[in-house]
Amino acid sequence: MVGLSEGEKHFICGGIAQDLRADGRTRLQFRALTVETGIIPQANGSARVRMGATEVIASVKAELGKPTILHPDKGKVSIYVDCSPTAAPMFEGRGSEELSAELSVALQRCLLGGKSGAGAAIDLSSLIVVEGKACWDLYIDGLVVSSDGNLLDALAAAIKVALSDTGIPKVNVSLNAEMDGEPEVDISDEEFLQFDTSGVPVIITLTKVGKHYIVDATSEEESQMSSAVSVSVNSHGQICGLTKRGGAGLDPSVIFDMISVAKNVSQRFYTLLESEIAAAEAAADE
Amino acid sequence: MEYVNPLTGFRVDGRRPNEMRQLKGEVGVVSRADGSALFEMGNTRVIAAVYGPREIQNRSQQQNNKEALVRCEYRMAEFSTGDRRRKPKGDRRSTEISLVIRQTMEASILTHLMPHSQIDIFVQVLQADGGTRSACINAATLALADAGIPMRDIVTSCSAGYLCSTPLLDLNYIEDSAGGADVTVGILAKMDKVTLLQMDAKLPMDTFETVMDLATEGCKAIATYIREVLLENTKQLECQRG
Repeated sequence: MVGLSEGEKHFICGGIAQDLRADGRTRLQFRALTVETGIIPQANGSARVRMGATEVIASVKAELGKPTILHPDKGKVSIYVDCSPTAAPMFEGRGSEELSAELSVALQRCLLGGKSGAGAAIDLSSLIVVEGKACWDLYIDGLVVSSDGNLLDALAAAIKVALSDTGIPKVNVSLNAEMDGEPEVDISDEEFLQFDTSGVPVIITLTKVGKHYIVDATSEEESQMSSAVSVSVNSHGQICGLTKRGGAGLDPSVIFDMISVAKNVSQRFYTLLESEIAAAEAAADE
Repeated sequence: MEYVNPLTGFRVDGRRPNEMRQLKGEVGVVSRADGSALFEMGNTRVIAAVYGPREIQNRSQQQNNKEALVRCEYRMAEFSTGDRRRKPKGDRRSTEISLVIRQTMEASILTHLMPHSQIDIFVQVLQADGGTRSACINAATLALADAGIPMRDIVTSCSAGYLCSTPLLDLNYIEDSAGGADVTVGILAKMDKVTLLQMDAKLPMDTFETVMDLATEGCKAIATYIREVLLENTKQLECQRG
């Protein structure tokens, strides 16, 4: 994918070992982050996140649907990611399917909790309109427009921002006995309910190159990784999900070490993201 | 439904019959690509990225070893349309549009200057509100120019339709789905040659001529705008060099 000479590979690995990466960052430093909200007018909420040369768009659409029989008191959330061929020629045709599926599943694992919906970042019972009859289906779509590594963290951040931008229309329900108890739902165009997104975690991926691990790896650095651990951490510092990628095995003690580092780094990322969200909202209001 | 107000002559979105939507072009939006551009026509918004000229990846696709191989892929984002539905990749509509864009761009690229190489054009629709075909071609032109690929001329495209016995320029989604004729024209702006012409529904011959003239006028206006964007971009690059 990334064509690197022996010298370049050595330069990247050597830089990481000396805590000075090819772009001048230290091992646990992020690239410049920019956030924009409300970029897709047809969606209920949307956001664009740029981290260096990586750019992703997330959109949230809400549609009225029927809750499942197993969970009549819960709404439904689904997450899909697509990698646009604009990001890399290898994503053309069916070339992006594998990576898209990998990212979708990793995000579902980190944001949606288990099958029962327990531990989900979004309170699924807040999506219910009429128990057993009507609920909101949230469709979260991610699109990778430009790819320079660390896609998972960028997507999770974009989804978090998009959810905080999302307004669910207020609904008035009138139960009509004549229509077999089917509820009549009237969607308001003016009043919107905001989500509580404080529980939505961010994902921090620690990429292990040589003996050390780094955050926010570029694609050149990712090509040199032996393994990577993605930890999703919520604002209380609790771990919501964990994914390990890459071929090489990791010592359990290293994993615990990585998790605790990810936890510390995530708090820094939270303040960074929150200030960017505030700036984006201020820009949108103008 | 009235698509043109009989009293004021304004269209559903408040435009005059021969008025285009707001245009916006931006160059260099995808930093990793060799050339890229964002193009907006009203609410229709597309991103184009160009990779190449580079070595041919799949030898079997090479048809002529004296000319560059041009490839194109058109893709719509899941959230680009009003109602969200999952479509399989490579559905027939996308394949057809990919082909149309490829053929239109091939007409302007000087392929004989780059033998044994391939140029990939990827267009991604972020928002669809009618005229995605035209917007994609305009975005692809900007991206190719950004990538520094030699071209005969600037290709631009615009659509025009005929509703309520009025020729309308640059149809939006509501007008597009109204059932009237929809003529999409692509021209080589300076050479004044048509490289793309598509029409659905039927029109009397003389009406077709006026509608096509209107679309051609639209193309020329877009070409002027694209030239401005490129000139502005070149000036900025010049400033950066100092």
